[in-house]
Amino acid sequence: MIEVDHLRKTFGGLTAVNDISFTAHPGEIFGLLGPNGAGKTTTIGCISGLLTPTGGHVRIMGHDVVREGPAARRVLGVVPQEISLYEDLSAVENLNYWGGAQGLRNPLLRQRIREVLEITGLQDRAREPVKQFSGGMRRRLNFACGIVHQPKVLLLDEPTVGVDPQSRVRLLDLVRAQAQAGACVLYTTHYMEEAETLCHHLAIVDHGNVIAAGTLAELRALLAERDLLRLSGIFRPDAAKAALQPIDGAEILQADENLLILALPEASLRLPAIFSALAAAGAEVRGATLTQPSLESLFIKLTGKELRE
Amino acid sequence: MHFLAVSLRKDWARTRRDPFQFLVSLGIPLVLAVLMSLVFGREPATPRGLLLVADEDNTIASTRMLEAFHREPLSKMIGIEKVTRDAGRARIDRGDASAFLLLPKGLQMAFLLNLPVQLQLFTNPTERILPQMIQETLSITVDAAFYLRRANFVPPPNPPLIDLETAVVRENKPARSFAAVFLPSMLFMGLLFIASGAAADIWRERMLGTLRRIASSPVSMASYLVARVVFVSILYVVVALVGLVAANRMAGMPVPNLPAAALWIAFTGTIFYLLFLWISVQPATQRAASVLGNLIIFPLAMLGGCFFPFEWMPAWMVAIGKLTPNGWAISQFKAILDGTVDAGRIAATAALMAALGALAFLLTLRRLRRGFAV
Repeated sequence: MIEVDHLRKTFGGLTAVNDISFTAHPGEIFGLLGPNGAGKTTTIGCISGLLTPTGGHVRIMGHDVVREGPAARRVLGVVPQEISLYEDLSAVENLNYWGGAQGLRNPLLRQRIREVLEITGLQDRAREPVKQFSGGMRRRLNFACGIVHQPKVLLLDEPTVGVDPQSRVRLLDLVRAQAQAGACVLYTTHYMEEAETLCHHLAIVDHGNVIAAGTLAELRALLAERDLLRLSGIFRPDAAKAALQPIDGAEILQADENLLILALPEASLRLPAIFSALAAAGAEVRGATLTQPSLESLFIKLTGKELRE
Repeated sequence: MHFLAVSLRKDWARTRRDPFQFLVSLGIPLVLAVLMSLVFGREPATPRGLLLVADEDNTIASTRMLEAFHREPLSKMIGIEKVTRDAGRARIDRGDASAFLLLPKGLQMAFLLNLPVQLQLFTNPTERILPQMIQETLSITVDAAFYLRRANFVPPPNPPLIDLETAVVRENKPARSFAAVFLPSMLFMGLLFIASGAAADIWRERMLGTLRRIASSPVSMASYLVARVVFVSILYVVVALVGLVAANRMAGMPVPNLPAAALWIAFTGTIFYLLFLWISVQPATQRAASVLGNLIIFPLAMLGGCFFPFEWMPAWMVAIGKLTPNGWAISQFKAILDGTVDAGRIAATAALMAALGALAFLLTLRRLRRGFAV
């Protein structure tokens, strides 16, 4: 279990994490979702003991990461965002070192190395130097080094960045398997689709704060099953807002001279009425994108900006 | 202990896979040693000696005694330097010349009046051929004086009244061959380069992200650092044994006490590593760390007797060089090779170096914990 209680971390005058609280339970995948710079990696750094929190508390399986650091780290597995491997060494040698660093000894270490090589599909290349591996293989080995000691708590910091689709699917399966085996998994990502398909619980962070949290269903409910309509073109914001006011249930999330974002139920059926109203207000619509309710639309609703910005 | 074993295995595997860094550290001094040997090997084969002369008579007779040394081929082989009696004696005792000749006051008068007189020659025991040549030449000159008296129909004294007394000064300083003087410097230059290269690996670990990963494991930074230091120490023991045996067998460098010499190399090399490690983790970038390391290593090697031996350096530079850690280390190493180790002195040097190493370890650990590893 991971308990994060009013976590705060500042670097000089910069507040990377302002106030983040959440609890992740064994057997579940908890997603920390947010754009780059939202404070996800800093949060992971505080949980893994790399950074000392400026305020608040973090407990891993009941151990405070500041006061009982070694005990907390003993049950922790970390898969960092950057590939953190010895490139001159083989997969087996890397696993041997990282397993040993986590306190595993032979014959258990040998057995675990065999197992993780098999589940990551690297057994055929186990003796080759890592520098000969493809990007996807390195990612898988990076993951294997984080789980070789069967951690009760697993931190995954954007583990699929830059990974080919095949390796990505495989990695996500591996993450699910860890949760099914009883591990508490904390997964950070800025890929909405990953979070939607993978996570049981989610916290959406922005500017170092949790702006929404809950299960996927709970978060979707915040959108009230409304679609998200993005219109690009040339608009006069005030005129456009006035023109769209009669459209039933439409909420204008963003309106500027080139972009208009609306949340409204059954948007596809109401497109003709919207286009007519905007044309009457002197707007020129050049593009339209309709999105079903999703985390992405929720994020846009909550922050007024796209997740990948 | 388990992590130490795992870490040593990892470091050995990394060194084996990428030996270039290590070989370059050893290769630079080796290339220099070969080049220096070539330079000295091209010198004329003719030996060159120095005869110190204290001419207290300062007459025609005393000048004529040395005439042979001013003619070729002797003039090319033996230089003459006029000194006082005391200075000559002091210098020959230090082994600064091939021989010291004392021409006493009244030599000419004794020759003319047929009175007994004695010339004194002190020879350097560390040289074999040149002192013997000087002695032979002076014997012939003394004989010539005898026959000169005879040619002048003056009845020669029997035995001859001019007597050449030769004494070999007590050997108070062991002889040092080129290898004995030069190779320790090269060996210690290698130690400095290995230390610098091994210390730079902390930046490779940082860039690989492995340092960050170890910081999030249950292994403490202190254990990680100790494991690195132990590996480097073992590496130094291997380098010391191989280097000393090779220097002894291939270049004739005397190694009377191999275990002590190897131990000293491993100990001092480890201290150099800790000092360079501390220097490496100070700058904010890998490039700055590399520049800083180079800025320090070359002057340190040159001043501290790791580029040119102290024996070849001017006295003022030696005085500075002997204040550097490598200067302390190399001086004691030469004492081990010479068999002239002073237990108190080497213990004091070891204690000082150990204190420096411990301080560097603690400061490096502090830096690793305060952000470098993250």
